[in-house]
Amino acid sequence: MTEVINTSLPQEEEVKLNGFKRALQTFCGWFGFGVFGRNSNKKRKKLFFDVIGYILLLLGAFTMIYPLWWMLAASLADSDMTLLRTKFWPSGTPYFGLFYNYERSITALDRTWGLENSLFRSIGNTLIYSLVPVTIGVIVSAAAAFAFAKLDFKGKNFAFFYCLAAIMVPFPSIMIAQYCFYDALNCCVCPLAMVIPGCFGAILTAFFIRQYLYGLPTSILEAAKIDGAGYWRIFWTFIIPLAKPAIMAQFILSFMGSWNNYLAPQLFVRENAWKPLTLAISAIDGLGNIDNQPVVMAASVIAIAPILILFAVFQKTIIGSIMMTGSKE
Amino acid sequence: MEDNNISVVSGSADVAIASEGVTPPKKKINKAKLHENLWGWAFVALLVIGTTVFVYISFIMSVMLSFTDYTGRGGTFWEALGTIHPDGAFTWYKEMFKPEVMGVGGDAQYVWGTMLSTCFYLIGIPIGMVLALFFSVLMSRDIKFSGTFRVIYYIPTVSSTVSISLMWSNLFAQGGLIAEMLDMVFLAGATTLAQRSCIIILTVWKGLGGTIVLFVAGLNGVNESHCEAADIDGANAWQIFWHIKMPQIYPTIFYVLVTSVIGGMQIYAEPALVFGDWGGAGGSIATKDNTPFVGYIYGVFNADHEWAHASALGIVLAIIIFILTLVQFALDSRRDKE
Repeated sequence: MTEVINTSLPQEEEVKLNGFKRALQTFCGWFGFGVFGRNSNKKRKKLFFDVIGYILLLLGAFTMIYPLWWMLAASLADSDMTLLRTKFWPSGTPYFGLFYNYERSITALDRTWGLENSLFRSIGNTLIYSLVPVTIGVIVSAAAAFAFAKLDFKGKNFAFFYCLAAIMVPFPSIMIAQYCFYDALNCCVCPLAMVIPGCFGAILTAFFIRQYLYGLPTSILEAAKIDGAGYWRIFWTFIIPLAKPAIMAQFILSFMGSWNNYLAPQLFVRENAWKPLTLAISAIDGLGNIDNQPVVMAASVIAIAPILILFAVFQKTIIGSIMMTGSKE
Repeated sequence: MEDNNISVVSGSADVAIASEGVTPPKKKINKAKLHENLWGWAFVALLVIGTTVFVYISFIMSVMLSFTDYTGRGGTFWEALGTIHPDGAFTWYKEMFKPEVMGVGGDAQYVWGTMLSTCFYLIGIPIGMVLALFFSVLMSRDIKFSGTFRVIYYIPTVSSTVSISLMWSNLFAQGGLIAEMLDMVFLAGATTLAQRSCIIILTVWKGLGGTIVLFVAGLNGVNESHCEAADIDGANAWQIFWHIKMPQIYPTIFYVLVTSVIGGMQIYAEPALVFGDWGGAGGSIATKDNTPFVGYIYGVFNADHEWAHASALGIVLAIIIFILTLVQFALDSRRDKE
């Protein structure tokens, strides 16, 4: 390898250098760096940086993946001590079968909340709280986005900025009043407080779909209008299919946001039977039993698994649309 | 609102027609315009109603509630909204600046103590942004599998905060993996700095992926020809990055900064799950040291049952976030002028 580089060197310069400098020059030459008057080799330099880049990226990827793997391994540990010592696989797994902690997470929650099958119930609640408001909300937001992007009506800009200014109000500052409001309407014993507000759409969702719709040609809509299609029909037959990437992405992002929501259900849902999965996990964590942590990890795996599967299936859509619209939730 | 609009539109159109001296009562264009107005408002109606009720009216109720001494007992919420606190409307706001002495008086030390820990957790934002920039530069190079890396780095962002926080609290716990590896105490009995650094590590780890994806999008959008021109002029890779790519991805960086500061001021779940909820007067020291401001709002609401007080704290949080955002935009506009 060194010979290849040496042939490209002028011989006179090499003579001037002493032994150490020559060794350094040869060493840097391997990686494509030109020192002491040697020409740098672009191809080798790129290869060198590629290798370093890969090593760093792999290290980073390991840091991202490993804790999740650890969580899976820890959920199979037989005691708190084993859990703490777990590195890649627990040194002791439960006597009653590998998935005993998953069983225990179900029974432990049932006992705390005094309900039957409360973990499955909480998964169902989470699905209700995330699927219903998000589905309706994204469609409502898409309709608003369509109006903001493609229709021309009086007060459009006012309506848009009126809605957009609402993002300046943080949720923690209005949550107490909202709680009192729902409490006065008696909504805190039923899941309506978690469902109804989401059904009215979200301005950020509308904003990002609007950004996407701006990129679509208006001529299609005009053609449809001339052919006699009403706005309602244009929306359902043209806008929804055309803006599908943006709508899907916003749907998945909002779904994930609702699935992982913790503060709002903690505040608004006072009835154990209607609590979502996130509250179930923190309830199991609060038990403080001996050898409780593996059970908590098992419940955590149950909470993370569906969302990771969803992400794995739709990762191209999600990442692509985040890059496209610049939203992040 | 819709009716008003329609009448305004049709009215003005009528006037226009009349002034032209043409007499047909209704024209086709007029009708189309009316339809567009009607449908436009119909499409945005739900969003506007939702925003009005769940944000603006809620905010007004929140402000009104903060002037009362409502605790959820004695009278309904609607009755309480009209009243004011017996010691004056601004009692809860004044309390925030009065220190507590021997268990009585204001709650100045709690308010500003929790606000301080919230601000401490914001340290994670610059750390995360520098790391994200570093990794996104590596990913936006001409290498294979960069898409795969992006997906892997995004995984923690989509995972449930509750699960992630409980997992990291196990990793940081006494005898846990990271605590053993670094031979440090992180949670129980550790210094406040070590305790808070857990939360910072957690949030940086969780937020990295989202920032990376946005930065990679920004770096991919950089004009290639500018970089090539600089390369031909003899600029090295560092100069190209600093003088050509950085200014072009500045909007992305600013967007990420503003949204992360707004989000970071509202941090709640991670400290609450690692250190426990604010339990009022009887809470543990670790909880009191590390609870963020939102955790304190929730604690005042949940443990102390001072609903009006919690509402007043919320209003203060909104004001602080608003000021922080304004400051960032002011700094941004000053940069534009230079």
